[in-house]
Amino acid sequence: MKRVVIFGLLLCSVQVLPAFQAAVLPEHLISGWASAGPPSEFKEGDLFDYIDGGAEIFLEFGFDRLLVQDYRKGHSEIVLELYQMESSESALGIYLMKCGIETPIEGVPARNSGDRTQFTILKGRAFIHINNPEGKESLLLVMVDLARALLKFIPQGEPLTLLDELPLEGRIPGSERLIRGPYALESIFTFGEGDVFELQGKIFAVAADYRDQDGEPSTRLIISYPDELRAEAGYRNLRGKLDPFLKIVQERERGFVFEDYRQRIGTVERIGSRLEIRLNLIAPPSGASSFWAQLLRKPAAVSGGTGLM
Amino acid sequence: MRGYRSLVLRDNLDRRDFLKISGAAGIGFWLGNRSLSALAQQTPAPPSRPKTNIEDALKVPRTKYSLPGIFPGKVVEVQDAGAVKDDKPIAKAVHRMFEKGLHSLTKKGGKDSFALFFRKDDVVGIKVNPVGPGTISTHHEVVDALIDWLVANGLPRRNIIIWDRFDYMLKDAGFTPERYPGVGIEGLQTMDEAAAMGKTQDNSRWLRPDGTHVSDANFDLEAYYWADVEGPKDNAYLNQHVFNGKFSYFGKLVTKRLTKIINVPVFKNTGNGISMATKNLGYGAVCNTNRLHGPLFFDVNTEVMAFPALRDKLVLNVTDGLRGQYEGGPDYEAKFAYWLNTLYLSTDPFALDMVCHRAIVAKRKSMGIKVNEHPKFTEYLRYAERLGLGVVDPGKIQHVLV
Repeated sequence: MKRVVIFGLLLCSVQVLPAFQAAVLPEHLISGWASAGPPSEFKEGDLFDYIDGGAEIFLEFGFDRLLVQDYRKGHSEIVLELYQMESSESALGIYLMKCGIETPIEGVPARNSGDRTQFTILKGRAFIHINNPEGKESLLLVMVDLARALLKFIPQGEPLTLLDELPLEGRIPGSERLIRGPYALESIFTFGEGDVFELQGKIFAVAADYRDQDGEPSTRLIISYPDELRAEAGYRNLRGKLDPFLKIVQERERGFVFEDYRQRIGTVERIGSRLEIRLNLIAPPSGASSFWAQLLRKPAAVSGGTGLM
Repeated sequence: MRGYRSLVLRDNLDRRDFLKISGAAGIGFWLGNRSLSALAQQTPAPPSRPKTNIEDALKVPRTKYSLPGIFPGKVVEVQDAGAVKDDKPIAKAVHRMFEKGLHSLTKKGGKDSFALFFRKDDVVGIKVNPVGPGTISTHHEVVDALIDWLVANGLPRRNIIIWDRFDYMLKDAGFTPERYPGVGIEGLQTMDEAAAMGKTQDNSRWLRPDGTHVSDANFDLEAYYWADVEGPKDNAYLNQHVFNGKFSYFGKLVTKRLTKIINVPVFKNTGNGISMATKNLGYGAVCNTNRLHGPLFFDVNTEVMAFPALRDKLVLNVTDGLRGQYEGGPDYEAKFAYWLNTLYLSTDPFALDMVCHRAIVAKRKSMGIKVNEHPKFTEYLRYAERLGLGVVDPGKIQHVLV
């Protein structure tokens, strides 16, 4: 009987998630668990009602709908959250924001990160949380079974190449992020108010952390616009709305160097239809003037900071 | 399920007076003739923001209990690796932690430290944080330790009230009369979760026929935080916020009945900032708050706490760091929650938040979380220092490890 419950969930998922339709549902999934009522469904307008303070980032990346199903067995509980995102890129974007340092669970046949309390899973347009609210170790295998059963019905999605824009040399694995608007951007750096790069909820930026030859970390952000005109507009908007805590120390027609509130250096440069940005540098990147490099390496030469913590 | 909507940070930096640098076109990209030091020394323009009635608060004379309290800038951090076993706090260990922390803070025993803060006829409100019930919410073992201390020193149980803004959240988190016999349990307001989540169109459980909220009498129309920002007019907002104009009224519980407050937030983030001592009260003691997240956000913590109802009654803060959450807050997100086995004590909630902000930033970095350390995420703490409400300069904070 209980496996019918899971069957029912998947059937329901299929009904409300056309993108996840499957022709055949397997009969044997997991047993012994009952759903605590029908799944709750949340669409764009009411996602706030489910995620306290966290809906904005889903909406920014592109969100279609969410199904939440609560399962019970005795006093045990597992909660499934199945987010259907607008695209595979949208799902990847939210996954990279939410996965933390990836700790894949063995037996889950999709990119994932988790522990006994929560699995975070990515497949195609689906972003999935399987929650074990009480953190019971004994439920780990049940969570794996549920993940395996569910993932059978979710299409793989097309291969993504967005992150290929980030150079491999020096890149710190696991630091990659997608950005589609101010919420995701804010988690990395504050450039200014609102959609400062004019991504307009359509253009994905990519970011990652890097280590230079001396082991110093920094961050790169690359935005590829559809054309030069849009790139120039994004650059101009940034330049016009630049956060007042960022002080421009050098500027030319299509780029500038700034110093941030920690006296770290950043660079912004428009190259054709791309914006290339570097952050958290202790000196300008290679190719910069050695004069600036020397000057910026001397702490005494830089003052007037904000005294941040 | 959740019904409370609290937005993550929305800064308001469209009012800016950024540097006007011109005329460098045509020069090599990284070359130029400007002095880095000279440019860097220009002070960022302070962001403009909606007007508020903070001046009203500042006019009220201070008392001996006024923030930052009896021990300005002193923060005691008590750690005990044995505080939690099998994912459950050990009551005895938590009691010991609290007693050690209190002694370190006051340099007095339980009885004398009680006398520093309370009289036996005080009505003491314990402000908990019930968000993320049973997981990242205030632990009962911490509240028990506080109640035991108060009662052991002569405060009647009936003079203790565990409170939060929302009654249903208290219940969900286990703060019930059955769990706390003889102690008051009060939410400032009710909210119909089913209506908030769109599961019913029946609003009769929270909305009167005349269009007013059934909890409106719980708020003090003479004690308010005013900000020049309108609350939305829709029913969903009114259900959650009781009022929707430009006034955020204090709960009458806070203004009329409580004579002292103990604040017991939990150790968690909200975006790049924290949702701990000052946010627990800044957004927990007044209504009609969602309108404030965008334009004022953390400044609300500071300004609401500048009003006498909080400034002169809040005598002790105990940040429950038995379990912490470094990402995904203020709601519970299991992957980022961890057992920290720590309590933080202070009379100064702003010093306390500064210490905890730095601690959570360090944790976020160690866990590979992107950290945006823009000063705006702690500016409200420095603002509090300028208003004389706290000591937040790390060089002046006395951070004691026990």
